[in-house]
Amino acid sequence: MNTDPAMTSKSTTLSSLNSIPTISAAVSSSGLLGSVASDNDMRDGEISLNTIEIVQRKFKDNEKVLSIFEAYQIIGQEHRSRLLALVVSVAGGTYAVFSLATARLPPRNVNDLSIDKIFALNETFQIGSDKKGSISQLQFDLKTADEAAVKYFYYPIISAEGASDFETFHAQIISAKFSMTHSTAATESILSYSWLNDYRQIGEVKQELKRRENEYIVFKDFIVYCGTWNVNNKPYSDSPLHLWLSNGEQPADIYAIALQELDTSAKAITFSENRPDPMWISKMLSSLHKDGEYEELTSVRLVGMMLTIIIRKQLRPYIARCRVKTVARGVFNTLGNKGGVAVSIQLNEGNLCFVNSHLAAHMAFVEARNEDYAGIVRGLVFDDDLKRTINDHDHIFWIGDLNYRIEEPPGLQLPCNRASPNAYDVLMKYDQLRIEMGKGNCFDGYSEGRIKFRPTYKYDVGTDNFDSSEKQRAPAYCDRVLWKGVRIEQLAYNSIMEIRQSDHKPVYAIFRVKIKTKDEKRYKRIHEEVLKLVDKRENENQPQISVDKTVLDFGVVRFNELSVCDFTVSNNCPMPVEFMFKVKDPPLNDICEKWLQVEPRAETLMTDSTKRVRVKLLADVRSITGLLKKIRTTNWKFDFDILILHVKNGPDMFLTVTGEYKPSCFGLSVETLCRTNQPLNTYTQAQVKDLMNDDSPEFRVTMPREFFFLIDYLHKQGNKVEGAFETLEYKHARSLQFNVIRDWLDTWSSEEFPGTPQAAAEALLMLLDLPEKPLLDPFVEDLLQTNTAAEAMELISLLSSPRRNVFVHLCMFLRQGIERQYYNLQHVASVFGRILLRSTAHAGRDFYRETRCRDFMHRFISSDIGGTLSTGIADSSGISGVGGGANGGSSNGGGGGDGSNTARINAIN
Amino acid sequence: MAKKTYDLLFKLLLIGDSGVGKTCILFRFSDDAFTSTFISTIGIDFKIKTVELRGKKIKLQIWDTAGQERFHTITTSYYRGAMGIMLVYDITNEKSFENIVKWLRNIDEHANEDVEKMILGNKCDMTDKRVVSKERGEAIAVEHSIRFMETSAKSNINIERAFCELAEAILDKTSGREAAENPDRLVVDRRNNEKAPAYKSCCS
Repeated sequence: MNTDPAMTSKSTTLSSLNSIPTISAAVSSSGLLGSVASDNDMRDGEISLNTIEIVQRKFKDNEKVLSIFEAYQIIGQEHRSRLLALVVSVAGGTYAVFSLATARLPPRNVNDLSIDKIFALNETFQIGSDKKGSISQLQFDLKTADEAAVKYFYYPIISAEGASDFETFHAQIISAKFSMTHSTAATESILSYSWLNDYRQIGEVKQELKRRENEYIVFKDFIVYCGTWNVNNKPYSDSPLHLWLSNGEQPADIYAIALQELDTSAKAITFSENRPDPMWISKMLSSLHKDGEYEELTSVRLVGMMLTIIIRKQLRPYIARCRVKTVARGVFNTLGNKGGVAVSIQLNEGNLCFVNSHLAAHMAFVEARNEDYAGIVRGLVFDDDLKRTINDHDHIFWIGDLNYRIEEPPGLQLPCNRASPNAYDVLMKYDQLRIEMGKGNCFDGYSEGRIKFRPTYKYDVGTDNFDSSEKQRAPAYCDRVLWKGVRIEQLAYNSIMEIRQSDHKPVYAIFRVKIKTKDEKRYKRIHEEVLKLVDKRENENQPQISVDKTVLDFGVVRFNELSVCDFTVSNNCPMPVEFMFKVKDPPLNDICEKWLQVEPRAETLMTDSTKRVRVKLLADVRSITGLLKKIRTTNWKFDFDILILHVKNGPDMFLTVTGEYKPSCFGLSVETLCRTNQPLNTYTQAQVKDLMNDDSPEFRVTMPREFFFLIDYLHKQGNKVEGAFETLEYKHARSLQFNVIRDWLDTWSSEEFPGTPQAAAEALLMLLDLPEKPLLDPFVEDLLQTNTAAEAMELISLLSSPRRNVFVHLCMFLRQGIERQYYNLQHVASVFGRILLRSTAHAGRDFYRETRCRDFMHRFISSDIGGTLSTGIADSSGISGVGGGANGGSSNGGGGGDGSNTARINAIN
Repeated sequence: MAKKTYDLLFKLLLIGDSGVGKTCILFRFSDDAFTSTFISTIGIDFKIKTVELRGKKIKLQIWDTAGQERFHTITTSYYRGAMGIMLVYDITNEKSFENIVKWLRNIDEHANEDVEKMILGNKCDMTDKRVVSKERGEAIAVEHSIRFMETSAKSNINIERAFCELAEAILDKTSGREAAENPDRLVVDRRNNEKAPAYKSCCS
């Protein structure tokens, strides 16, 4: 980037500078400002405002929005609208670019705008348009020493009424900066950016309060009494100070008493004596107006100069701030024999500054005095929150021995005739101070009252006679009181001839100052209003989304069948919104239950845009167990899940996922299946929930019909079952064909089995594998400790009868299949071992445990252990009776099969 | 640019059965408005309101929760992090009052141990439909050493007061001042209409 792109940028040519209306003209044009002020009196409700007028309302009367420009920033993925405003402060004489965030574009009222960044157009300000490697030509940077570079983009089209195009805006900024850099040489000290502080580093509440200041500020009169006296190293004791300090009809509220040449000894100068002289101060305190009760607020001293601020006691609580500062302008600008001391105070809402200075002496040294003045103005920065300079105060009183002399006009006899009424006016024509002020060389903006007293210097000590020594110094008005600022009225300005201890006569001036004061009642009301407004704004600016439904009803939900439900998220608020589904607390640690899938899980939505979110529900081998558990345990009318739709920095919405689960045999425990007396597809979700929670020992059948149907079918397939029971991968369940098998089972169909033997084998595995608890629960771990089948049978006989029956029947079926070499013993033992003895404690695979499970199964299904099973069954007398199955007996008794298995299956009903 | 407009931020939570008026209480407090149409809150919403207590600007971030039973498990996860909880029942609804005990148990299980609590008997303007006497409300509050107030979002009774009092209790805690210094603070104030509140500055 160029070191100073402002001055070299392509769009800045002298011709473009000249072609835009000069900003200084805008500043000085009172007509323009007047129209702005009257705009401000209008109510916000009026509609005829264009954007620039709305922006203007963000600022004070004496701050003028010269031009605005529409831009945007890219923050993260978001585009954020920004209105850039070039603003000039008439009081500060300075410019700045404000970056305003706007809730809407174009803004409809001032409340849409908040100040985001401020770039003072000081010497460090840069506007650059380095386009290397950038995605858009339409961009530029702004930066200053205080504010890091910020990149702005813009569209080629202007939408806000009254906004400038980029070329114009850019040229205006450069012109503004140019005009200041060129005026600084002469009046550097006058430029102040402190007005920006009203917008900086303070919250929205303060900004808003500041903006509405005129509604609660009243002006209260205070009497300010300024005195200055060069005491010529004389002691305090014998001076009748009351003659000097107790004038005026009413007692002053604030005294600012300035002394010079308190002690100009080499010692005091060398050691920069800075301790206020308590003797002088107590003498002052005893010489004030008799009708007031006073106390010293502060004193500041630098060698010969001392400034003491005394206030009426009751004012103390209203002084919010008090700072002192000294500037040495003596030899090499380091010694304090010359220079200034100053006090800055805040009284109510008004900022007052008092300066006592002793400037360079001698008739010829006018320029040195001007330089001293400029040096004090430059160097005097108070150590307060805003680093205030002298000019950052509302009311400034500059008092002291300014040392300006009277140029001796030819032919004018001094001292002149006191009787002549215009004598002083004649003298003033030759007063160096007035002349220099007239030329703009010093005390710019200061006023002084009419002088109607004799020159205050130089007298023979003890007399009212001008210097009669050999030096014969010409009389002069060295001792002056000047003021600058608003609402100051001088009531008196005089010298005291009767005080004769010094070669100077003391001078005093009395002022009536109208000081900004909060009307507490109105302030409280407005403060409350502002708090409310700011809160309201924040509440309204909360990111908000809406959804087209909060209940996602999947209708009938079936095992192993995918259902889909979409909903729409809309962003109708004026800012981009990020939404995401919230991860729920452990143990879930996910945004949704296992049977759901949500896509997308997070998204950023631009204003007025929508996003379709798809929720998929699939109760399959992975998730049916959890879903059934949820159905069984939820007290509330069953909801499949509740999704938390979270808006970043905003509210959460709960989306209820619901539907009616159509029961299937898969996932239900063998006990539950033995309690049915109709096919499962005739049950409702609520009924099956009751069945699941039924813990009575009464069963309708000795073992689940669904189990029996599958075994029976497989039994009949003889050697056509190659590949069955080899793995635990449920690959058939992934095809739609499988759901026909599901229906065949859930309807107790008398049709032919609608699938392959391999699919039937898989269905059998699923029937045993999907329930929450393994078949041999609750003795799984105990059974793994047994070493013989007989030992194990003792535990098996303690299982619930459906479990026991299923286990025994299954083992006999498998043993027969293995004997006939339909199945591989190792595979079967491994697969069923893992299913029937599944650990409920840990989910991961444990190969050692799997080996033990396999060995356990091996013992029961290998052919060499003959009668163990039937013994066990007989002992526990679990199976009895013979009868037709619910399928009308079509599969019971199993045609052509080994009757020893099937004959034991009996339906109790 | 630091733009902190407040000295302290307190997070408060409104809980209670569905339909007792939690959202209306919040709406009255934040927007000074009331609407009689019932819209069930389905989720968690919040509003902010800045109050001034003892010269401090306190930003209250108030979370309004869904009262429906089906959401109870989910809403309890929002208890953590709340510095104050308003437990609301409806004086015209016996069940909502009985459930206060359940809500209190919920707080014990899920909220921070030192959370400040307050029970509000809302809809106190509906005198002809009242089924829960003020005494019963006070009794349960005394039993659990919790502040209590009857409120009406509709008639704007005690709403601002309730929030300010809860905020002040939290302020006491955060500023390290112990309740021992102010023993009556933990006790239900039976004649709270007569007592000039200490937070008058914010609650006109």
